[in-house]
This record gives sequence, structure tokens and C-alpha cells, in this order.
Amino acid sequence: MINKSLSVVKIRDTLMVTMPTDPDDVMVSALQEAVLEAMEKYRPQGLVLDISAVETLDSFFARTVAETSRMVALMGGRTVIAGMRPSVAITATQLGLTMGTTMAALNVDRALDLLTAKPPRRESA
Amino acid sequence: MKNKIRSKGGETATGIQGFQTQALLAAIVESSDDAIIGKTLEGTVVSWNLAAERMYGYAAREIVGRSINTLVPPNRSEETVQILERVKRGERVDHFETVRLRKDDLCINVSLTVSPIKDESGRVIGASTIARDITEQKKLREALTQRAKEILDVSTPVLQVWEGVVVAPFIGTLDTQRAEQFTERLLERIVETNSSVALLDVTGVPAMDTRTAQHLIETIAALRLLGAQAVLTGVRPAIAQMLTHLGINLTDVVTRSSLAAGLAVALEILNLKISARDGHT
Repeated sequence: MINKSLSVVKIRDTLMVTMPTDPDDVMVSALQEAVLEAMEKYRPQGLVLDISAVETLDSFFARTVAETSRMVALMGGRTVIAGMRPSVAITATQLGLTMGTTMAALNVDRALDLLTAKPPRRESA
Repeated sequence: MKNKIRSKGGETATGIQGFQTQALLAAIVESSDDAIIGKTLEGTVVSWNLAAERMYGYAAREIVGRSINTLVPPNRSEETVQILERVKRGERVDHFETVRLRKDDLCINVSLTVSPIKDESGRVIGASTIARDITEQKKLREALTQRAKEILDVSTPVLQVWEGVVVAPFIGTLDTQRAEQFTERLLERIVETNSSVALLDVTGVPAMDTRTAQHLIETIAALRLLGAQAVLTGVRPAIAQMLTHLGINLTDVVTRSSLAAGLAVALEILNLKISARDGHT
């Protein structure tokens, strides 16, 4: 799927942001702006960042996502990154890029589950 | 320089940079198994040995005086220029693997070594190419790589053991490329099966070294980015000891000594439980 533009949609109490295929630095910065604006307008409980169309990931993108997630948390919301591609995940781990404490989900459906239900019980080691 | 050359009659003759030495060198070139081709700096063929005739299909009289580009496939036309440029500078082009065209239009994989031919003053006046047909060798190499990949695929299947749970046997001593392939395939299976738990079974890991541990950590991190949780299973005492000695931090990874125990953990994570049919658990 080739996606050329950033889309921000409010679904119930959640903000759904879809990233385009090859976001450049301008687009990535616009992401943060758009999210903050929408957070102000709708006061959603959660943000789903759909990156299923993203083919390459760089440190600027990873950093911006982590920052945005922290901003959302400060405003009382939770962020979930959805649909990361296997090849992107591998590159990210090789580069040591983590999304910080931001949650990740296999796809948008799961992301919405995560945000609308209680957090799944994690077995402690 | 003195050379002793035995003639047919058993007598020895000494040649000093003379005809006999030239004849000896010519004989060496003609009897060589490798194609030896002499070219001008413009790429015109000036010498062509028997092996070249066999390899390329052109008799010497058919190709001497013609351009070496006769042998070069159209999509590689810049190669001759690039090679000759380097030779003009006095450089040698070593074991350059490429493709060449035979007279019968068959493409063959070749390995070329091109050396400058210099005159007495050291000026480069031509180029000498030694060519080796590596078509068979290349096929064997590719078959080996393919076989290695198949062995890896067969020995490390990622099985879905329950809805949302996959099991991946981890094998140690994988090189970087194979390790990456393994992780990528595991992640793809997670997507295919819509799973949220991956049991990484290390029963088959003979020894836990730094590289395997690193691969393990990267795989766990990559799984997280896809919203999946990893459970390390089959951790034998020896492996537990090695992980501890290596100082690997696995505090946020659940580990179990057997696959069965790992499955139990997976079910808990998914909030599922197995109960007997008559209602008793």
C-alpha cells in the first residue's frame, strides 16, 4: 500500500493517525504538530499511530514518535504504534532504536483493543 | 639469465634471453588451461591462445585484429573501458567476475585477471587477460547457498501451536545474515498468524555465546515492536549458567526450562485456560 499523506481521524475516544509510506523530516515534524492540535481539540484518551505503510525508519522518526508519545502521556493519554513491518522492526532493533515506553500492536484492530480495554495481564518473570 | 633446456637428443643447451626462452614461454601460453588474451590499450585483440579458442569458440584468425568488445554482452559495455583505464595506470585487475559471450551466443560466467604489458622503459603498451570459465563453480556456489537456506528453513519451522501463539526453535551459531533471515521469518509468521506470543525455544542451542545472546535480544526487541511478547523456553541449567555469566539482562523476559511450561505462560498471557470436559480443571 502506497500512502502519500498523513491522516488524522477521531474514532470515538481515540485518535487515529496514519503515516504515509516514506515520511520525510517535514512530514514527521508535521505529525507531532497534527497530534498536539488534535489532542487539544478532541481530548482523546488514546492515540493510535498506524505505520503499516512505512517502509523505512530513521532515528529522527523514532525520536519524534517517542517524544509525541510522552507529550500525549502528559496530557493523560496513551499511545500505541500499530502495524510495524517486519523488515522495519529488524532495522529498528539493529540500530538500537526503541520507541521508549510506547506500546506496540500488530495491527490497528489490536491497537484499539489495547486502548479501549483493560491492559492485558502480563505474567511477571 | 641462464637457462638450461634439454633438447630431444638429450644434450643440454644454454639459452641466454634467446630464442629458446621465447619458445618456452610461447609453449607455456599455448598449453595453458586458462584463456590468455593479449590486447592493445584500445582493446584490439593481438594474441589468442588455444584455451581462449575453446572457451570462447572463436579461432585465433577469427578474432585477432578485432575488438575485445566482441565478447562483451551489451549490458556490460562499459567494463572494457573501465578495465583498460586501470591497466593504463599500471594497475592489475584481479579476479574480476563477470559475464562474457561465446561465438555461439552462449553467456558464460568468467573470472578475469588483467595485467599491464610494459615495454623495456616501463611504459604500458598493452593488456594481458587471463580468463577462467567459472560457470560450473558459480552454479555449485549458488546451489550450496540455496541448500544452506533450505536446511535452515527445514530445521527452524515457526509453528503455530495455539491461536495467537507460535513456537520458534532457536538454533545457535547462525551467521549475521542467517540470523536476520530467521528473525524476519519469525516476524512474518507473527503477522500471518495474528499472534501475540512467541515461544523462543533454546533447547537446540548447544552453547550460549555472545553472538547468539545478541541475536536473542534483538529478536525479543523486534517482537515487541510488533506487539508480541517473547517467552524463552527450554532453558537448561547449562544455558542458564552461560546467560548469567554473560551478564545478559533478561529481567523483563519470561523464561522457562521447558516448552510445556512456556505454553502455560502463553495461555496465561492470553487469559486462557485449559479445563477438562466434565467441568473439572
